[in-house]
Parts: sequence; C-alpha cells; structure tokens
Amino acid sequence: MRLSIKDIWNDLRVSIFLVYKAITRGNRFTLILTILVTTLAFINIIFISSIMNGAITKAYQQAQENYVSNIVILPDTDEKYITQVQQLKTKINTLPGVVSCSSRYAQSGVLRYDPDKDNQDVREKAWNIKSINPTEEVKVTNLQNYMVAGRYLEENDRDQIIMGREISGGYGASFQISSLKGAQIGDEVSITYGNGVNRSYKVKGIYNTYFPLADLNVFITEKEMESVIGIHNRASEVLIKTDGSVPERVYIDRLRTMGIEKEQINVWMDFIGYISGLTQTFDIVKSIVTFIGLLVAGVTIFIVIFIATVNRRRQIGILKAIGMKERIIIMSYIFQAIFYAILGVTAGLLIIHLFLVPYFIRHPLPMPIGLVSLALVRQDMALSILSMIVVSVVAGFIPSWMVTRQNIIKAIWG
Amino acid sequence: MPVEALKGLTFEIQQGEFIAVMGPSGSGKSTLLHLLALLDDPTSGSIFVDGTDISKLSSSQKTTFRLNKLGYVFQEYALLPELNAFENVYLPLMMLGAPARDYEKAARVMLETVGMGKRARHLISQLSGGEQQRVAIARALINKSRILFADEPCANLDSKNKEIVLKLLRQLCDELRQTIIMVTHEQEQRLYADRVLWIKDGSMDREEKVR
Repeated sequence: MRLSIKDIWNDLRVSIFLVYKAITRGNRFTLILTILVTTLAFINIIFISSIMNGAITKAYQQAQENYVSNIVILPDTDEKYITQVQQLKTKINTLPGVVSCSSRYAQSGVLRYDPDKDNQDVREKAWNIKSINPTEEVKVTNLQNYMVAGRYLEENDRDQIIMGREISGGYGASFQISSLKGAQIGDEVSITYGNGVNRSYKVKGIYNTYFPLADLNVFITEKEMESVIGIHNRASEVLIKTDGSVPERVYIDRLRTMGIEKEQINVWMDFIGYISGLTQTFDIVKSIVTFIGLLVAGVTIFIVIFIATVNRRRQIGILKAIGMKERIIIMSYIFQAIFYAILGVTAGLLIIHLFLVPYFIRHPLPMPIGLVSLALVRQDMALSILSMIVVSVVAGFIPSWMVTRQNIIKAIWG
Repeated sequence: MPVEALKGLTFEIQQGEFIAVMGPSGSGKSTLLHLLALLDDPTSGSIFVDGTDISKLSSSQKTTFRLNKLGYVFQEYALLPELNAFENVYLPLMMLGAPARDYEKAARVMLETVGMGKRARHLISQLSGGEQQRVAIARALINKSRILFADEPCANLDSKNKEIVLKLLRQLCDELRQTIIMVTHEQEQRLYADRVLWIKDGSMDREEKVR
C-alpha cells in the first residue's frame, strides 16, 4: 500500500501528539533519570575520545614546538655535515610560508657529573650533545618558555649548558635512573667529546616540556661547539618552522627545487613513529569505548521503552482496537527514544562545553607527552551524536514493534 | 488444543438496532463481540457489514475499517491516562486526518451529548468510573461509527452510573439511529435493548424481542 504525503504527515502529527502527551504528563522521575543516564553515556563517549585526541594533539604540538619544529634537513647519508649552512639558511628563509630556520650541530660525548667533586658517586652518561644558535633557535622551537630552573642560553655563552629534565634528573623526570640524578643550576658538568676534547660547563638552565623526546636533550651554543670540533658554517641538522598554511610535505619539493638535492629532508612526523603507533592504538581504544558507551545508551533507552511498552501493552491494544495504525504507535515510541537521546546529547554537550573543557584547560592532565586537555574533534562529535540518534531509533523501534505485533485481544486482556 | 468457541451462529442486525448479547459465562458472547468488532479473526465463517465480508479484509484494512466504521466501548473504560477527556475523544478523528478545529468542535459536541462537557479538560484519573465510561462512549462515536460495540459497559459501575450509561446508549439509538451491540450478563440491562441474542455453548440459544 502506497502512502501519500498527507498520510505520512498525519501519522507524524498523531505520533508527535502522543509523544508530547506521554512526556509532559508521564512520570517526571523516569524522564529525568533516563535523560541523566543518556547524558552520562554521551559524556563518557566524548570525554574518553577527547582525552585521547587531546593526548595525540599534544604529542604533535610538542614535536613541532619543542623537538624538531616542522621540517628537518639532515646531511646526505654519506656526509657528516651539511655544508654552506649560512647560505642555505638565507635561501630557505626566502621560501614563502617559512617562518624561520635554525642550524644545529650534534656531537657524541660523555657527560660527567660529580656532585661533591670528590670522585665519589660520579654520574656519567654517554649522550648526543647538540648546539644551537639561541637567537635563531627561539624562532623555531619554544624550549625557552619551558625553563623550570635557571635561564636559556645566549649567543655568546661558552661555558654554559642547558639540559632537559630527563638528563638532569629531578623535576619529576620519567627516566630518573638513567639521568644525572639531580644536576642543579650552577653545578659543573664536564663533557668528553667523541674527538677527545674535554670541556667543563656550568648548568645554566633546566627545562621541562613534559615531552621525553624533547627533554632528553643537552644544548651548548653553536660558537662553543664550533670551537670544540674546529669547523664553521656547517650543521648536523637544520630545523625549519613553517606557518602551517600548507602541509609540510609540500615544502620538500620546494626545497629540492631551490637546490637542496642530496640532503635528507624530513617532516616532523617522521621523527615520532612511536606516537603514530600510539595514535592507532588510541583509535582502537576510542572505537571500543564509543561502542560500549553507545551500547549503554542504547540499552538504557531500550529498557525504558521496553518497560513503557510492556506497562502500556493494554493501552497499545486499545489504540489498535480503536483503529490506530501500528506504524503510528511504533513511530511514537521511536520519537520518544529520539527525544531522550536529543536531550541527553544536548545536556551532555552543555556539560562538556561549559564545565569539562574549561576545567581541563585550567587543570590539564599531566601525561608522559605533556599537559593534556580535552580536544573536541567536530567529526568525532558529529559521529557520536549521529550514532546516539541511530541507537535510540533502534532502541525505540524493537520493543514497540514487539508489543504492537501482539494480538489485540492478548494485548488488552493478557 | 483448539476450542470451538462459536459454531453455527447466524443472525442479522438492522441499522439503528440496539442488540443485547446475553448468555452464561463462557457461552462465547465476548468472543462473538471481538469477532464482530474485528479484534480477533474467525477460523471460519463470514461477517458482512453493508454487503462486504469484513472478515476477509487484510490486517491494515481491518485497522482502517475499525477506525472509520466501528466504535468500541470496553468494560474497563480503556482511556489513555496521559490524555484528558477532550483529547481522548478527539483522538480517532485526529487519526483520520481531520483538521484541528473540526475534531475539537466534534469532540466538544460529543462530550456535551454524553453530558461530559464540563469535565472535558479533566485528566482521566480525575473522573469517576461512570464519567470515564461516558467519555469512552463519546470516543467510540466521534467518527460517526456505523456500529457501536459495548462489552459489558456497566460492569464496573454503581447503579446510578449504570442507569446513566444505559440511558445514554438508548438515547443514541433513538435519536441518532446508532446501531449498538452490547454484551451484558445482567438481566435488567436487556430492557434497554430492542432485541436480545441469547448465546449458549457458542451457539444461538434464542432471540428475544424486547421492544
């Protein structure tokens, strides 16, 4: 039998009328409780996925701001250094979208820390020592903003060193056991470089980004490093900060075009492979949590509608007896379920936006990748809302369909 | 094991007749009413209304037929508790797609007819048993039913309300030529009907002309 627009409109009108009366004159306590549970289920879905999104976003942000900036140029695989670095940097800075660039040297060495200067309890650590030009570096990374003790390097510093908390130890470092176990500002640290040169430095600053990859670095100035290794106008790596207007990989072709042919050009993502793996794991966890959350919301609405339909079995029988079409009865329960879902989602969104997001901005969660707050991803939110509606339609349909299928006599008189 | 509730039962009812169906408990009078009102399906036999065998209609056709042509008054009032008297009465017309002003006007007239005009806005829980039954009659008649079925409509009422409801049914028959088929087990109620069909063991025992 084909339905006309008029029939559909009238069925909708009657269904909505029944829902409106059932909600406005039904049991308030049941209504509030159902909406509350739906709200909590929705918040649960959004909260967990937002925390995970927040963690991933933070990791990406940390990698770009405090670890490798956006793009890293490394020497040709057969070479130890990039040559003619000053000229190269001048050229790179002319590229549209490039904010700035900075060169670094990297040299292996053994850090030695003797807190009491008595050769007792000496702490040694083989590590890769890096140098920076502080004036350039502050334009591509943000480490200067994360000093937890002392100060950042200055261009002419020669006997000064800064290090992340994972090297110094203390400040809640994650790898305390392999660190210098508590080097302080003003303490003397000596380095024996791979070429045999030995220098002593005073700890000028300790930084803490909460990002282990960034906090596992030791920096001296470029001038100091050049005097140690006896070279000039070279670099072990060049970091480039871009304005984010186009994806980083676009710059690879642009850099090649401007004559950087042999050097390796990498984007920040290439340096955080383990975080990409973590992202995949988070996606799986998010899917599981979302599925369970939707199941909870769906089962809650199902139970409410099921109890309502079972309790109103006789009324449903009466409605059928006076000539109400089954589809109108089913639609009215589906609308009721959608109403619960919409109110639950709305209340959930209000709580998330008005309370949870501001709270976590003020009190971010300390995680091994940094201070994480909620990151609401529109697509995830839209998908969760849509899923809630779909689940509520199913949860409204099944019990009402089961009851309306019953024989009228059985429904009314049992 | 299947039970033969009705057998060999044949009768005719004229437009505007008030029929009482009577018989001992288990005689099959309620089953008969359910079959006539299309609430249940007969395993065999036919039911004709205006020359159409309505027992052969499909499930959705029966639903439409019930809505358009039949009215049913249940023993236990059977009104929707979330709706007030006015809304309960206009619901069938709303289901038929009538505009709001039409079904509201019709419901007002129908509630006045059954003497419930002043209680229209009351919720069902605020009405007495007799008042609820009068609202149920108004609902059953609002779609201008060809036949009104009443299944022991006074079973749960006190004597005063019984009289009100029965007089109302008689009045509808006399003034509106409403066809009514009422199941009852109380002897004195048959006096309001034109004719009584006595059922025994699922068969017609006898017919009694009252008026």
